[in-house]
Amino acid sequence: MDKNNNRLGWLFASPYLIFSTVFFLGPLIWSLYLSFTNWDLISPTYDFVGFKNFTKALGTPGVRSAFWVTYKFMIVFVPIVTAMSLFVAVIVKGLPKLKSVFLIGFFLPYLSSGVVASLIVKGFLSHTSPVQTFLRERLGLDIDWLGGSFSALFVVAMIMAWKFTGYYALILTSGLESIDQEVYEAAAIDGVKDSQKFWKITLPLLYPAIYTTLILSFGATFGIFTEVYQLTGGGPNYATNTWQMEIYSQAFKNLQAGYASAIAIMAAVATFVSIFVIRKILEMWGKRNGWV
Amino acid sequence: MKKKLAVLISLTLVFTILAGCGSKSSNSGTSADGVTTIEFWAAPNPTQQAYWQKIAKEYETVNPKVKINVSAIKESPTSEASIQAAIAGGSAPTMTENISRGFAAQLANSKALVPLDTIAGFNDIVTKRNMTKTIESWEFADGHQYVLPIYSNAMLFGWRTDILKEAGVNEVPRTYSEVIDATKKLKAKYPDKYLWAKPDLADPTSWKRWFDFFMLYNAASDGNKFIEGSEFVGDEKAGVEVLSFVDNLRKEKGLLSQNVTEPFENGVGVFTDVGPWTFNTWAEKYPELQYKKNFEVALPPVPDGMDPANAKTFADAKGIVIYASASPEQQAAAVEFIKWVYSDDKNDVAFFQETNLPPARDDVGTNEVFKPVFEKTPVLLEYAKAIPNAVPSMDNPKFNELQTFIGQEAFNKIVRGEIDPKTGWDNMKKAIEGELQ
Repeated sequence: MDKNNNRLGWLFASPYLIFSTVFFLGPLIWSLYLSFTNWDLISPTYDFVGFKNFTKALGTPGVRSAFWVTYKFMIVFVPIVTAMSLFVAVIVKGLPKLKSVFLIGFFLPYLSSGVVASLIVKGFLSHTSPVQTFLRERLGLDIDWLGGSFSALFVVAMIMAWKFTGYYALILTSGLESIDQEVYEAAAIDGVKDSQKFWKITLPLLYPAIYTTLILSFGATFGIFTEVYQLTGGGPNYATNTWQMEIYSQAFKNLQAGYASAIAIMAAVATFVSIFVIRKILEMWGKRNGWV
Repeated sequence: MKKKLAVLISLTLVFTILAGCGSKSSNSGTSADGVTTIEFWAAPNPTQQAYWQKIAKEYETVNPKVKINVSAIKESPTSEASIQAAIAGGSAPTMTENISRGFAAQLANSKALVPLDTIAGFNDIVTKRNMTKTIESWEFADGHQYVLPIYSNAMLFGWRTDILKEAGVNEVPRTYSEVIDATKKLKAKYPDKYLWAKPDLADPTSWKRWFDFFMLYNAASDGNKFIEGSEFVGDEKAGVEVLSFVDNLRKEKGLLSQNVTEPFENGVGVFTDVGPWTFNTWAEKYPELQYKKNFEVALPPVPDGMDPANAKTFADAKGIVIYASASPEQQAAAVEFIKWVYSDDKNDVAFFQETNLPPARDDVGTNEVFKPVFEKTPVLLEYAKAIPNAVPSMDNPKFNELQTFIGQEAFNKIVRGEIDPKTGWDNMKKAIEGELQ
C-alpha cells in the first residue's frame, strides 16, 4: 500500500519535477557555469575567466544602480499597491452584489500586456498630449515625467501598481471573506466602536493575506523589466535601471552572455537575501502584535 | 536497483528533451533534386522587403536551382537581437541585409560571418558595381571584408524653413553662432517651439548617438575617427565644442527631450536629422511637407570659423553579410545571387527608386542611370552629393558599450543640464578608455 502510494506520489509530482529540471535547474546550472566564462552568446569558443565577471560587475554603475533602484521601487511601489489593493478589497467586500464582476474588472490590468500599458502611458505623457498641454497651459506645469529621476521611477511604479492592484485585491478579498462575521458581532457586544473595527479586528485577521501580498509585491520589484524597457530604457542616468534591464542590456545589447550571467547570479542572491530578510521582519511584526 | 533504474530513465528523458531543444539542423539547404534554398532576411522596412522579394523572384526564374526565401528581420526587441538570438539558437539565415559596420564587427569577432573577400567572385561584384572606393572604408581591422555595403546615407539635418522665416530667419543657419541666433529669434516669436525637439537626445541607447552626437562631431572634427582599432583618438577640442553647442542650445531653451510625437513634422521643432528613407513616409503621411517650400536639408552646422560648405557628417550605411553557419552550398548560392543582382545597374536604380536609399557606389552622383531618381525626388541629390563627406560608424566590436558611454556620461547629461561640457567629455573619455582596455 505504501509502495503504491509512493509510486502514485512520484507519478503526480513528475510533471512538475521534469518541468523544474528542464526550465529551472538546468538553466540555473548553465547560468552559473556561464558566469565564469567570457562567452559572447554567439561565438563558438570562450575562455574561463574565474571571478572576473563578478568583480567587474561590482564596480560598474549599471549593477550598482540595479541594486539600489530595486529598493527605491520598493519604497514607492509597495505602500501604493498595498493601500490601493486593500482599498479595493474593502470596497468590493462591502458591495451588496456583483462582487466578482467588479473584482474581475480590477483584475484585468494584471492580464493586460505591459508593453501596451507602457505605450499608452507614453502617449499620455507625450509633450503634446492633452494631459500635458492642459498641465502646461492651464496650470503652468511643464513636467518631463520620464526625464526626471524620481518622476520616471514614480511613473513606472504607478503602472506596476495599477497592474497588480486587482491581483492583490483578489487575495485580500478572499482574506476578508474568510473572517467570521461573528467576530465582529462579539466585538460589538464587547463595546468595540465601528471606527476601531478595521484596526482592531479586520487588520489582525487579514494579516496572513496581507503578508502574502506584501511578499509578492516586494518580490515583484526584483522582476521589473517591460515597463522600464518601454518607457525609460533604464534612464535617466540609471534612475530606473533594474536588475532585469541590466541583465538584458549586457546579454543582448553588449553581447556579454557570461558577464550577464554573473549579474543574474548576483541578482538572484540579492533577491533571495532581501526576501528572506523582509519575510523575517514581517513575521516579527506579526508576532509582536500577536497576529500570528 | 529499481530505484537507480528509475532515476537513470528520468535523467535520460530530461537530457533527451534538453538535447532536442538545442539540436542543430545539419541540413545543407540543398534538396535531392539539386535546388539550394537560401534564407534571406531583409531590412524591416516595407520598401526594402518588397524590393528583395521582387528581385529574388526574378533570380529564381533565371536560376531555377536556387530558391530564395525573403522575410523581414524581426524587430523584437531589435533586429540585432533577433539576429543574435537566431545565431545562438542555431537558426541563423544564410544572409541578411541591414547590417551596420559596428554590428558586423561584433558578429565578425564572434566568427559568425563569412569573410566575403575569401569567396571566389567577390572582387568581381566590387568592380562590376563600381564601388571600389566606397568599399575601402569598410575594410575591417583584420584586413577582411565582412559586409557588402548596399547603401550609404550621408545623414543631413532638416530645417523647417517655413517656421524659421516666420521667426525672421531667412537662411538655413550653418554655424553654431547662426544656429544660436536662430534659436533666440524662434523663441521670441514662438515660445512653445524648440530648435531641436527629440526624445532621443536624452536616451543613452547607443545607436541614437549616430544621429546627434556623431553628426555634429564629424562636422566639428573634420571626420576624426573617434576610435581607431582599440584606441580612443577623439578630438577633444571638437568634442567639447559640440557639447558646448548643445549646452548653449539648452540654455536658450532650444532643446526638448520629452517624449513627443513627430516633432519636426508637426512643427514643434525646426531642426532634426533626416535620412532619405523619410521622404516616402512624408509623401504619404505629411504631403504638405515639400522640399524647398517648407523644409530644406543641409550638412551639419559647424563651429564658427570652419567652412560649413564641406562639413563632414555621419554615414548611415548598411550592407549584406553571409553567415558562417550556412552550408557551403548556400554560401556559394548567396554569392552567385549577389553577383547577379549587382551585375546590372538597373537593379541599383530600382533599389534607389523604391527605397530612396542611395546605392553604395562610387558613381551614384554622376552616373546617368540614376538621373530619373533625382528628377523624381530632387532632395535625394543632396544626399548623393554628401556621400564623400560621410564618415561610417566605428568598427569596434564594443561599439555598443562605447556609444552608450557617450550618451550616459556626456551627451544626455548636457541635454539635461546636469554637467558642464568639459567634465562631460572627460568622464566619457575615461569610461571609453576603461572599456577599451
